[in-house]
Amino acid sequence: MNKTLNRRDFIKTMSATTIGVATVASGITLTTFASTNKVPVTNEKRWGMLIDTNKLTEADIDGMVSACQKEQGWGSELYSTGNQKPGWIKKLKVKDKATGKVSNLALMCQHCEEPPCVDVCPTNASMKREDGIVLVDKHLCIGCRYCMMACPYDARSFVHETLRNQKEHMPRGKGTVESCTMCVHKVDKGEVPACVASVNSDAVIFGDLYDVSSKINQTLKTVQSAQIRADLNLNTGIRYSGI
Amino acid sequence: MNRFLIVFLTLLISSAFAHTNEHANLGEQASSIKASGKVFHESISIIRKIHPEFLRHKRDKTLRQGVRTDEYSLKGCVSCHVNKDKTNNQYRSVDKKGQFCSDCHEQVSVSLDCFTCHRTIPKEGSL
Repeated sequence: MNKTLNRRDFIKTMSATTIGVATVASGITLTTFASTNKVPVTNEKRWGMLIDTNKLTEADIDGMVSACQKEQGWGSELYSTGNQKPGWIKKLKVKDKATGKVSNLALMCQHCEEPPCVDVCPTNASMKREDGIVLVDKHLCIGCRYCMMACPYDARSFVHETLRNQKEHMPRGKGTVESCTMCVHKVDKGEVPACVASVNSDAVIFGDLYDVSSKINQTLKTVQSAQIRADLNLNTGIRYSGI
Repeated sequence: MNRFLIVFLTLLISSAFAHTNEHANLGEQASSIKASGKVFHESISIIRKIHPEFLRHKRDKTLRQGVRTDEYSLKGCVSCHVNKDKTNNQYRSVDKKGQFCSDCHEQVSVSLDCFTCHRTIPKEGSL
């Protein structure tokens, strides 16, 4: 009844238990990896993109824009005019006034770590997934467009007209805000975003910023890169080199 | 008083018939599944009654957590319950009058909001 564990026994039992737990735990990990789509995304990953503006030609950017339009089904709005037209990804020209060097940027949602759009959203429709992808929950969006005001990159657009035959994976509707989703439906399947796939060179690299063996992580370690408006401390997921 | 009773009974009977009548627009694939005797939904009464809850649960899981399973996905509902127009070989939208979704929603007078954003026919190229 009064049997007490001495130190040696205690260590023996403990190590046996630890090994047991470790075996079970590794089993769980294996099963979760086998069915990635059935388990929620975690913050062990952070998806990002590195855009090399020296390698990216204007034609490449046009290709990226049309690939995005084709994949997500925006850009053929009939009644929206001028600023009403959606633009999930834009071609931007920036010029260094001192040297006259012109760079072409592909500008889309920067997938900030601290997204201002999420901060200001009154209904929690603007949200950041655990793996760093910033999305709009259109089920909750009331179309107030506060997020559009808050975004420093002008990345979001508003749907002004009734739409039909949207893409199966990308519901879009009048009265809601939308922006680049980093092709979340493809990323969840282990594919790369449509714009990245459209570029033939390695001017755009997509991957997990946290994974030390990923190409994007390796490249970011070796080349100079910048965030647009880094002064805002948003820690963007999209990085640029060559600007 | 008797007149009221008659009206009431008529309504009761007609509503009972409305619930027991066969769905004319179940959709081609769904009809063939049903005819083959296979069970897709575990219980018809449950799926009829709480399909909005299933969809709401699924939509949050998918959008916010990236859980992408076929079960209770709206995409799945549409692709199975859609009808094809035999004359021009085109899909009919599930929310068009007389089609699967709107048929029931109209009858019970519940607005059908999903399809202001979601696609009403299966994806292009699947014809």
